[in-house]
Amino acid sequence: MLGLSDDDKPRFLGRRIAPGLKLVALAIISIVLMMVDNAHDSLSTVRGALAVALEPVQMAAEMPGDAANYLKNYFDRGNLIQENEQLSQKVLLLQGRLQQLAALQAENERIRALLASASSINQNVLIARILAVSPDPYRQYVKLNKGSSDGVFVGQALIDAHGIMGQVTNVTPLDSRAILISDPNNGIPVEVNRTGLQTIAQGTGRSNALTLPFLPNNADIKVGDLLVSSGLGGRYPPNYPVARVTKVVHRPGEEFLDVTAKPTADLDRGREALLVWNSNSNDDPPAPDNAGKSGQPPAAAKDDASGASDNKAAQ
Amino acid sequence: MIISQRVSSLLIVVTLAVSLVITLLPMPATMSAARPAFYTMTVLFWTANQPQRFGPIAAWLAGIAIDVLYGTPFAEHGLAMAVAAYVVVKGRELLWSFPLIQQSLLMLPVFAVYEFMLFWIDGVAGLDVNQWWRWLPVFSSALLWPIWAFLLERIAELEVG
Repeated sequence: MLGLSDDDKPRFLGRRIAPGLKLVALAIISIVLMMVDNAHDSLSTVRGALAVALEPVQMAAEMPGDAANYLKNYFDRGNLIQENEQLSQKVLLLQGRLQQLAALQAENERIRALLASASSINQNVLIARILAVSPDPYRQYVKLNKGSSDGVFVGQALIDAHGIMGQVTNVTPLDSRAILISDPNNGIPVEVNRTGLQTIAQGTGRSNALTLPFLPNNADIKVGDLLVSSGLGGRYPPNYPVARVTKVVHRPGEEFLDVTAKPTADLDRGREALLVWNSNSNDDPPAPDNAGKSGQPPAAAKDDASGASDNKAAQ
Repeated sequence: MIISQRVSSLLIVVTLAVSLVITLLPMPATMSAARPAFYTMTVLFWTANQPQRFGPIAAWLAGIAIDVLYGTPFAEHGLAMAVAAYVVVKGRELLWSFPLIQQSLLMLPVFAVYEFMLFWIDGVAGLDVNQWWRWLPVFSSALLWPIWAFLLERIAELEVG
């Protein structure tokens, strides 16, 4: 180990520990740790503390990219002006649509009230910056600059301008980690917008492809179909675009179709994302098991007493 | 150099931190998949170079850092590092009896063991990523080993004087 000189190597009852024995002990410790980590959330404080200690390394790794971005913006004034123009046009356009939205939302709520439906389309949003993408090419997640002190909680959905990106899986006070829909461990309940067909889209480990493994051979689905989140299972908010079908293969003799879809969100390019959650969570899913451990109810929902208390109740 | 002089712990920590940063540098996914495991190379270099101080336990601790930064199950990379370090400790004399260029071939199975441990644990954890490019870092790390080890040796010599 670090700092040990030759004569004070690890000893046990006066004998030197054989390296093989050391390895076996390490293996046992590792396996126990992995099992505990998998089953409980009890290691998250240790992980959080170590993550804070390793923050400088992470920041150093981000620096070249950030610096290059900064320099590019600094020297590229023409580009900035152009971008600014585009953005203000976009703002105008969106504000125009927003005026309609307010009226539509009110109408929608009245109609829903008539139907005695408890669901709400009111959604709170919080802008988060994407600090880092997974350096491990086989796991798809991003690190966000908002943590439990900003009201982020486990299970919150992450979207960008074009669709659903993923959901929050770990929260520390200052930052959080979200799994992307393209992670092979992630499945998202979707429906085909054209037909209402329900299915599940599963990540593949590549940021540009999801698979739909559970569609029977006679399912009505074709290339170009938009998949939107169905909200079933409760983890993801309903009716956000998720992916567009890019490939449908009928395999003779197989029971299921081979369907591939491309996520509509920019999973590997964006720098900013939105965290969304329902302020009125009557028909909300039971919050994920470990949400309680991650701390406070969302801060942004504090001004909305019902939202905050509902969240607590759900936990 | 078969028997090497002691270098300071600070040097070990600094080289580890630098290679960790290189490992974390954001890159396009295609390049990232083939990126040599710089951090693992540095850990294994110190295991080979300073076996009295940097054995499997230190390698295990070093691997935990990756687990924290990657968000992988606790001690997954730790265990893989420890196993790879153990192989290096055992085969260290053989390793140093060859010139750096030829060590490439000897390190190939070591990196393969490291990657296989990760692959195996991922599989047990249900993360079944079985794509051929998963094994690219094994080759890129082994190829780069002579250059990386040469650099680290020079740095160690500079310090020891």
